[in-house]
Amino acid sequence: MKEVLEGSHAVSEAVRLARTKVISAYPITPQTHIVEALSEYCANGSMDAKFICVESEHSAMASCIGAASAGVRTFTASSSHGLALMHELLHWAAGARLPIVMAEVNRALGPGWNIWMDQSDSLSQRDTGWIQLYCETAQEVLDTTLQAYRLAEIVNLPVMVVLDAFFLSHTYEPVDIPDQASVDRFLPSFVPRITLDQQNPNAIGQMAPPAFYMEMRHSIQMAMQSVLEHFIDVEREFETVFGRTYGPITPFACDDAESIFVMAGTSASTCRQAVKTLRDKGHKVGVIKLKMFRPFPYQHIRKCLEQTKKVIVLDRNCSFGPGGIFAQELRAAMYASEQHPQIFSYISGLGGRDVTVDHFLEIFDRTEKADHPENESVWIGLNP
Amino acid sequence: MNQSIQTQSPNNVSLLISQSRTNTLGNKTGTWRFVRPKYQEKTAACSNACPLGIDIAMVEMFASRKDYQSALNTILMENPFPAICGRVCFHPCESACNRQFLDQSVGIHQIERFVGNWGLKNTQQHIQYPEFNGAKIGIIGAGPAGLSVAYFARRLGYRCDIFEKSDKPGGLLMSGIPSYRLPDRILMDELQRLNDDGIQLKYKQSISMDQLETFKQHYDALFLCCGDANSILLKIVGENFAIDGLNLLRQVRSQEMPTIEGTVAVIGGGNTAIDVARSLLRMGANPIIVYRRTRKEMPAHPHEIDAALDEGVVLKECLSPIELQKETNHLQISLQVMKAGRKSNEGRQTYIPDGNRRETMQVNHVVSAIGAEMDMMWRNDQWELSMSHCQMKRIADIPVFWCGDMTISDKTVTHALASGKQAVIALDVLRNHGHDEIKNACHQCQVGNGPAISFDIYKQGKRKERNNSEIANFERLNTAYFPNIPAVQVNKISQEACLNSFDEVISGFDESQMIEEASRCFNCGICNDCDTCRIFCPEMAIQWDQNNRHILMDYCKGCGICIEECPRDAMNLEVEP
Amino acid sequence: MSKTSQETISGCIMSSKYPSTDYIMPGHVACPGCGAVIAMKFALQALGPKTILVIPACCWAVVAGVHPQTSLKMPVLHTAFATSGAAASGVRAALDMKGDTETTVVAWAGDGGTFDIGFQSLSGACERNENFLYVCYDNEAYMNTGVQRSSATPYGAQTTTTPKNAWKSHRKKNIIDAMAAHRIPYAATVNIAYPDDLMRKFRKAKEIQGTRFIHAYASCPTGWRIPSDKAVAISRLAVQTNLFPLYEVENGTDYTINYQGNRPVEEYLKIQGRFKHLTENDHAEIQEMVNEDWRILNGKAS
Repeated sequence: MKEVLEGSHAVSEAVRLARTKVISAYPITPQTHIVEALSEYCANGSMDAKFICVESEHSAMASCIGAASAGVRTFTASSSHGLALMHELLHWAAGARLPIVMAEVNRALGPGWNIWMDQSDSLSQRDTGWIQLYCETAQEVLDTTLQAYRLAEIVNLPVMVVLDAFFLSHTYEPVDIPDQASVDRFLPSFVPRITLDQQNPNAIGQMAPPAFYMEMRHSIQMAMQSVLEHFIDVEREFETVFGRTYGPITPFACDDAESIFVMAGTSASTCRQAVKTLRDKGHKVGVIKLKMFRPFPYQHIRKCLEQTKKVIVLDRNCSFGPGGIFAQELRAAMYASEQHPQIFSYISGLGGRDVTVDHFLEIFDRTEKADHPENESVWIGLNP
Repeated sequence: MNQSIQTQSPNNVSLLISQSRTNTLGNKTGTWRFVRPKYQEKTAACSNACPLGIDIAMVEMFASRKDYQSALNTILMENPFPAICGRVCFHPCESACNRQFLDQSVGIHQIERFVGNWGLKNTQQHIQYPEFNGAKIGIIGAGPAGLSVAYFARRLGYRCDIFEKSDKPGGLLMSGIPSYRLPDRILMDELQRLNDDGIQLKYKQSISMDQLETFKQHYDALFLCCGDANSILLKIVGENFAIDGLNLLRQVRSQEMPTIEGTVAVIGGGNTAIDVARSLLRMGANPIIVYRRTRKEMPAHPHEIDAALDEGVVLKECLSPIELQKETNHLQISLQVMKAGRKSNEGRQTYIPDGNRRETMQVNHVVSAIGAEMDMMWRNDQWELSMSHCQMKRIADIPVFWCGDMTISDKTVTHALASGKQAVIALDVLRNHGHDEIKNACHQCQVGNGPAISFDIYKQGKRKERNNSEIANFERLNTAYFPNIPAVQVNKISQEACLNSFDEVISGFDESQMIEEASRCFNCGICNDCDTCRIFCPEMAIQWDQNNRHILMDYCKGCGICIEECPRDAMNLEVEP
Repeated sequence: MSKTSQETISGCIMSSKYPSTDYIMPGHVACPGCGAVIAMKFALQALGPKTILVIPACCWAVVAGVHPQTSLKMPVLHTAFATSGAAASGVRAALDMKGDTETTVVAWAGDGGTFDIGFQSLSGACERNENFLYVCYDNEAYMNTGVQRSSATPYGAQTTTTPKNAWKSHRKKNIIDAMAAHRIPYAATVNIAYPDDLMRKFRKAKEIQGTRFIHAYASCPTGWRIPSDKAVAISRLAVQTNLFPLYEVENGTDYTINYQGNRPVEEYLKIQGRFKHLTENDHAEIQEMVNEDWRILNGKAS
C-alpha cells in the first residue's frame, strides 16, 4: 500500500511489520519520530511489544542485549552522541552475537551542538562488529530494516540501518508499505540460536581468558566475512516477495566511466543529477551509491572500479588525521586489486551543510584538472 | 548436561561465543588450603565434672527431641539409676555448666530425673544383658556401690552374687535418704533394672573379713561395698544421751517412727545432719543444726542446706559440743564457741576454739550426725592397686576390691556408683590384659581430664573418638546462636505440705518444661546436627546425605568459617599435612 | 504507618528451614571465606531454580565461572558494568513477551555496579518500577579490581585509593534511602550472619511485583584484612553495633526495623585491618555518626 511517509516512519513501519517484541530507546534528535511512533503503536495495540523508556542510550542498548539474550526480537534507534554513549555496548552486542537491529540517524557530534546530517557518528563505530547498511530513500529505509532482521538472524551479528538526519529522517516520500502477510513470509518468527535456557542452564558472556578469546573473535570475523553472500541471498528472497532489490552497491552509469563518484546516503541522489548533467556534456562519469559499508563489499567495489581511472569519494565525515573514512576504506579495498585507479578524497556537507549539484560539478572539475590526488582530503564548501 | 559451546547455523555461520554449561567441579580448590577442618567432638564441661562421666550433652540433645529411649540409653551406659540420681545427686554438672556464663545453668538434674522417670514407666525397655563370660564375682553390700558393681559387671557378662546384711537392698538409699527426697517406690522400681538371672541378691547375709578366704572357691573376684556402717562418736561426756542420726533415719524409713517432740539439737554439718533436721520437722519437732564451722564449710550439698533453712530449720554456726547433761525435762548442751583460725596451705579455712567462750543450749533431744566410718575389720593399708575411686589387694589369690564410702573421700551416691564402675572395669582389664594394663586402660576411658571413666568408651563405643585433651569450655563456644532464656523454675510442693508429710518435695518438670529446659543445653562439644557448618560453607564443601555429614576435601579451601561458627566447639582446625 | 517488627532476630538458625539443595557448585574461584558467596548461597536457596541471574562486572562475574565453566545451576547473563538495571529490564521484557510469568529475574551486582557506575541504570529501572529483584551484595569497595574505594566504602576505611593517611572521609551512601525515594514496593537490608531474616526477605521479595531492592552485607576477608574464618562473625557485629541495621521499607514510606543492636562500634572497627589506623577519637566520631543514623532511622520507623 503506497503512502507518503516521513523517513523516520519508514523505520517504525518496518519495525512494526517485523513483529519486534521489545523496543528500548532513548530519544535524541533526529531519531525522535521513530521512537515516538513505536511508542504509539505499543500503546494502541497495533504492536504486541514492550516499549522500555530507558534513561540513556547506554541503557537502551543494554536492555536490547538483555532482551535479545532472553530470545526475542529487539529494536533500538539512536544518533550522534547517543550512539557514542552506546559505544561500549555496541562492542558487547556484536561480541555476544545478538541479532539486534538499530536505526542510526547520521548526525554530527559536538561540541558545538549540531543536530544535522553528518556521517562521523556511525563511521566512528565501524570497528565494533556491527553490519552497517546506508540508505538513500524512505523506501530503502523500510526495505533495509526488514532485510536487517532477516540478515541479523542468519549471521548472528547486529545490524545498523543508517539514514541521513533530516534529509531522510524528516522528509516525506511515497513508500510502498507491504502487508503483514507478505512480511511474515519473508521474515519468519525469530528462533534464537543463543538464548538463556532454563531447561539446560547456561551462562552467557562470562570471562574468556587468552586460551579462548581469540577463537571467539575469529568467529566474529568469519561471520562478518560471510555477510555479503547472505545479504545477496536475503535480497534475492526480498525481491521474490516484494519485487525490489538494491545490492551492496548501486552503480549508475559506471560501465564505461573514466571517473566514478562514490558516496553513501542521500548525497547519491544529488550526485546522480550531477552525473546526468556531466554525461550530457560528454563526460564519461558514473556514481556508485555505497549501501553496505560493513562488511565492506570488496568484490563488488573492485569489479566496478577496476576499469576506471579516477575514483571521486565524497565523505560527509572526517576521521581527524587520515581524513575521509570512505576514501580510506576505498584505498584499502583497491590496494589488493591489480588495477589501481586514483582515489580523490573530498570532504563536504558536515554538520548539515548542504551538498548541491554545483558542489559535485566543482568536485568533478577539480578532479579532472588534477594529475593526481592530494595527500590530504580536500574540503569543499568551506567558508573563507 | 549438554556442553556445547559452539553452534552452527543451518547456513554454517561460525558462532563461537562465551557460553558455558560445564560446571566448576573440575577445579579442585582443595589445593588452595593450608589448614583443614575436622569434626572433633570434645568432652563437655558438665561431663567433665560428673563423677560418672555421663554424656550429658548427648542426653539433653535426645531429651529435647523427645527421644527418651536414646536419652535413657545414654545415661544407662554410665549410670544405672537415673531416677535416683535425678533426685539425690549433688549435680556438680550444673555448677560446671557453660550456660551459666550466658544466663543460667541448664537444669540437668531435673532432666535426668524426667528421663529416669520415663524409664521406670517404660519398662519394656529393660537392659539386654549379654551372655555370661564364665566368671563369677561376689559383692558384699547392696548399697549404691555394690549395686553399681553388679550392674556393670553383669553388662560385661559376669555372674554376680550380692550379700546384703539387712533384709532390704539399697543401703543408704533405702535407710539413709528420707522419702521426701527419694520415695520408696522410685527406689524399688529403679532396682528392677537389675532383675536378671545373673544377679542374685542374698539378704540377711552378714559377711566378715575372715570369711573372705572361703569365697575363693566360688568367686573369681570380690567387691567390698559395705559402706561406712559405724557412726562416728561424739566422744564427749553424756554422749549416751544423744540419738544416733543414721539410726534415726533408718527408723523413719522403715516406718518405725519414733516420737520426738520439742527442740532438737542436731550435731553435724553433713547431708545426714540435714536429712535428720528436715525429717524432724516433718515429725513435728523443732530442729536446730549445731555446727562447729560456718555454713560455707558445711559438707552438706548447698541446695540441701538451702532447702532445710527454707523449711524453717535453724542453723547455729561455730559451736562445738563439749558436754551433754541430762536435766529433769530437757538436755543441756555445753558448747565451745569456735572461731576462724589460719588457712591451710591449700587455702582451707580452719576453726579453733575461741578462747574460753562458751554457750549452753536447753533442748529436748540431741541427735548426733557427725559422720560415719567403715567397720574396723575392713581396714587395710597395703594395696596392690590404688585408684581414685577403688583399691584392690589380693586375698587368697583372688582380687578383692574396696569400693564406695569405704574408699572414697566424697561420700555421695554418685561417687559410690562411679566407684563400682571403676572397680569393675579394673577387674575386667586385670582378667583380660593383666595388672600392668589397668591404669592405661582406664586412662583410655577417661572422660575429659577428671577422674570419671566411661563404660561406653570401655566398650569401644562412639564416645572413644572424643578428644579428651580439649574440654569444650565457654570460651570455645559461639554463643551468638543462643538468645538469653532463663532457666525453667523447678516445681515444689507448698511449704505447708512440706512440713506435714514426707511427700516428695520437688515435683520435677512436666514434659513441656523438660523440653524447654533441655533445649537450653548448648550440647557443648558434640555435634547435634545443627548444620551450621553446612549452612555457611561458602564452598558447598560440607555435604549431608543419609545421616552422614562429610567434608569434600577436594574443594574445602580451609577458610575456617565452620570452626568459627560451630556453636558448640565440635570442630577443629588442623594444619594441612 | 511504620512499625518496629515484633520478631526478635538473634542470629539463631532454624536449620530445619534450610534446603539441602545448593545452586552453586563447589570449585568456584572465590577467595576463602567470601561473604558474597554465602549471600548468593542463601539467596538462591530462597529463590529456587526458576531464576535468571544478570551479573555485571564484579567479583561474582568471575566467581560465576570463567569460560568454559559456570558455577551456577541457573542461567546467567553476564553484562557490562553499568548495565545491570537496564539489562535486567530487557530480560524481564523479553520473558513477559514470551508469556513467562514464573521466572524471577535477579540482577546481582556489587556495590560498584549499584552505588556508582550502575546507579543510573538502577535508578531508571526503579523509576519505571521494572519487575525484577535487584540485589546489591556489598563488600564496601571495588574488590574485584583490587580494593579501590566506592561510595559504599564506609567512613574511616582504608582502601587502595583511600590509603591510610588519606582514609575515606565521606560517609557511605545510603542506598536504601535512595531506593525508597523512588517509591519502589520493597527495599530491605540483609546480612549473611542472619540467614533466617535474609531468606524470609528474599522469599517475600520474590512474591512482590515491581522493583524490589535488597542490600546484602557481604563481608570480604581479603579486602577488609580480617582472617577468613571471621567472615560471618564480622557480619554479625555489623548488625549488633547498628552499623548495618536490618530493616525493610515498603512503598518508600513504611519503615520496619528488624533488629536493635546494642554494641559499641569500636568492637567492630578494631578487629579489621582496614580500620586499624583509626584512633580512639575516630572511633568516637564514628560512634556519633552511627548513633545519628540510628536516630534518624528510628524516626522513620515510628
